[in-house]
Amino acid sequence: MDYSILLGQAVLNGLVIGAMYMLMAVGFTLVFGIMRVVNFAHGEFYMLGAFAGFFTYVYWEIPFVVCLLIAALTIGVLGMLVERTLIQPFRSDEMSGMIATLAISVIIQNGAVLLWGPQPRAMPDIVTGTLAIGPFSFPWSRLVVIAAAALIFTAFWLFMQRTRLGRAMRAVAQDTETALIQGIRVNYIYPLAFGMSVALAALAGALMGPVFSVSPFVGLTPMLKAFVVVILGGLGSVPGAVVGGLLLGMIESFTATIFGSLVSDILQLLLVILILLVRPAGLLGQREA
Amino acid sequence: MRGFLKVALLSTACAVSSYSASAQTLKLGVLATLSGAGTAWGLAMQGAAELAAEDVNSKGGLEVGGKKYKVEIVAYDDHYKAADALTAFNRMVFDDSIKFVVGPLGSAPALALLPVSTENKVITMTMAFTPKALSADYKYSFRPVIPSDVFSDPQIKWVVQKLGAKKIGGLFPNDESGQQVGAANEAAYEAVGAKFVAKEFFERERVDFVPLLTRVLAKGIDAFELNGNAPQTAGLLVKQLRELGFKGPIIRTGGDATADILKVAGKDATENVYVHQPINTDSPAIQEYTKRFETKYKTPLNAFSPFFYANVQMVFAAMQKSGTVTDSDKVREAMLGLKDFETVLGKVNWIGEAQWKSNQQLDAPFYVALLKGGAAQVVAKCTPKVCE
Repeated sequence: MDYSILLGQAVLNGLVIGAMYMLMAVGFTLVFGIMRVVNFAHGEFYMLGAFAGFFTYVYWEIPFVVCLLIAALTIGVLGMLVERTLIQPFRSDEMSGMIATLAISVIIQNGAVLLWGPQPRAMPDIVTGTLAIGPFSFPWSRLVVIAAAALIFTAFWLFMQRTRLGRAMRAVAQDTETALIQGIRVNYIYPLAFGMSVALAALAGALMGPVFSVSPFVGLTPMLKAFVVVILGGLGSVPGAVVGGLLLGMIESFTATIFGSLVSDILQLLLVILILLVRPAGLLGQREA
Repeated sequence: MRGFLKVALLSTACAVSSYSASAQTLKLGVLATLSGAGTAWGLAMQGAAELAAEDVNSKGGLEVGGKKYKVEIVAYDDHYKAADALTAFNRMVFDDSIKFVVGPLGSAPALALLPVSTENKVITMTMAFTPKALSADYKYSFRPVIPSDVFSDPQIKWVVQKLGAKKIGGLFPNDESGQQVGAANEAAYEAVGAKFVAKEFFERERVDFVPLLTRVLAKGIDAFELNGNAPQTAGLLVKQLRELGFKGPIIRTGGDATADILKVAGKDATENVYVHQPINTDSPAIQEYTKRFETKYKTPLNAFSPFFYANVQMVFAAMQKSGTVTDSDKVREAMLGLKDFETVLGKVNWIGEAQWKSNQQLDAPFYVALLKGGAAQVVAKCTPKVCE
């Protein structure tokens, strides 16, 4: 295998991982932008989405697109309920809100262990085979993830830009009080934003289920990476999450391919620190006034 | 004062009654990985202990020195981490007063807790493959499974000769277990004329190996070695290797992971995969044990399970022979005295004096199997000297 093949393969690997990080980070940053809540349970909603995808696809044997919709809807509604009952009471207190999300994370993860057991479950591929272009070998299962993530993000972006609700969300993110004065019902926007955010995480989980596997612990790594991505891209910035997600995916893939896993982990975080030294608010973030 | 007396009397009564209840209970610890990628092994160990306990409990308990003991299993998860294993082990020894433990599982957890088990005279039955798990210093450490430094040499020699593979690649977890297995593997391959051209290490939580495998495949390997990886990880590695277009042989020299490899990677990806098989799946006793395990736990049997089942049966037999369930010195002596002990694996003995200066390694034959059409077919039977 020569160098160009190695790099071509690394680009594809980076795109897959980057797409997953992007979906995770967009939801994560959305909640922070609108509600000023750092949702530590975000990874657990990813895990719940993976399980929703697993059960519907394996046991009901329905088309995977429908499984994705079910995962997004059920986990989205669950997220809204969680916001309404467990996060709303701490709205004025960011620290307590953060601790509440930590508690939610532990409850969901242990609940999943009790319900479904700790062992990882293998999910069958949605598509099998590889696309061979010249010397490159691209597994279809991974190409599907990239395409689906791009579609999901486009739909999300159009929703945020073109619909009244999306505009209302952006208004709340920019200035809650002014949004209130304009007649936007913030109490409806918050659970909705939270629901959308975790639905994105659930979609990422359901998409990645067949590529890796499904267990109550799968949410931890994507959650940590989403955290790095939003810091890198700029806390609260959706374009930042996209750029940051894809960038981190690429950095991870290239460094792991060229230098190996251990050096890759070091290099990734070193690069993030360097970027933050140059741009403390993140790549596309804005400094707080 | 009267109130105080009542409380004192009541608590004394409680203490007495709980003593008489616990006097008839024999606690057996299970310290293994019950979550994450090593779960298949952990469940194999826990299941073995529970089934052995079920055997004696169904007959009214284990009869030792004229008393019947109900065997109770106390299981803790070590998350495959040394620190967690040590915490859980301390709890077993000091809170639960347990003297016999199925576990620890990995080499790193074993090395962390063996000094504590030795000091407190706790008999452990470990799955740790590290050569340091058995030594004259660790008097109470037994190993029922055959470690890779016993089976890897004859198996690797057989596989390399059969496949004619010259360049080997492999990924290993970045901890004591992985480093040790990686080094042992490299030496074993080089001893029979093959070269380990790509050896990478990764953190155990990792699930995406494609970048690392791309790097390994770039070295033009003839065969890939899966040794040292947890069952689920081994399955993901096979799946991702085939996705990257690698069609060459994949070799699993390490612990049994066949069921998980098949489940995760699927039938097509697992063609041309050679696996170490600790048990003979054609043996009626093994088939019966498999059926019992799978009916109870609704999960495929991991082949290590019967080894722990056999070891727990030996502990029970040693307790009966020595007439005690608390004096681990006497139980140890009695267990070492068991010769040609009949188990699901066939007749077993203790070996290891020459290799580790500790005669506490279980001796049983092992096998090499080729995966074909989603099933393992035995292609060679091995002893520590040779595979045929």
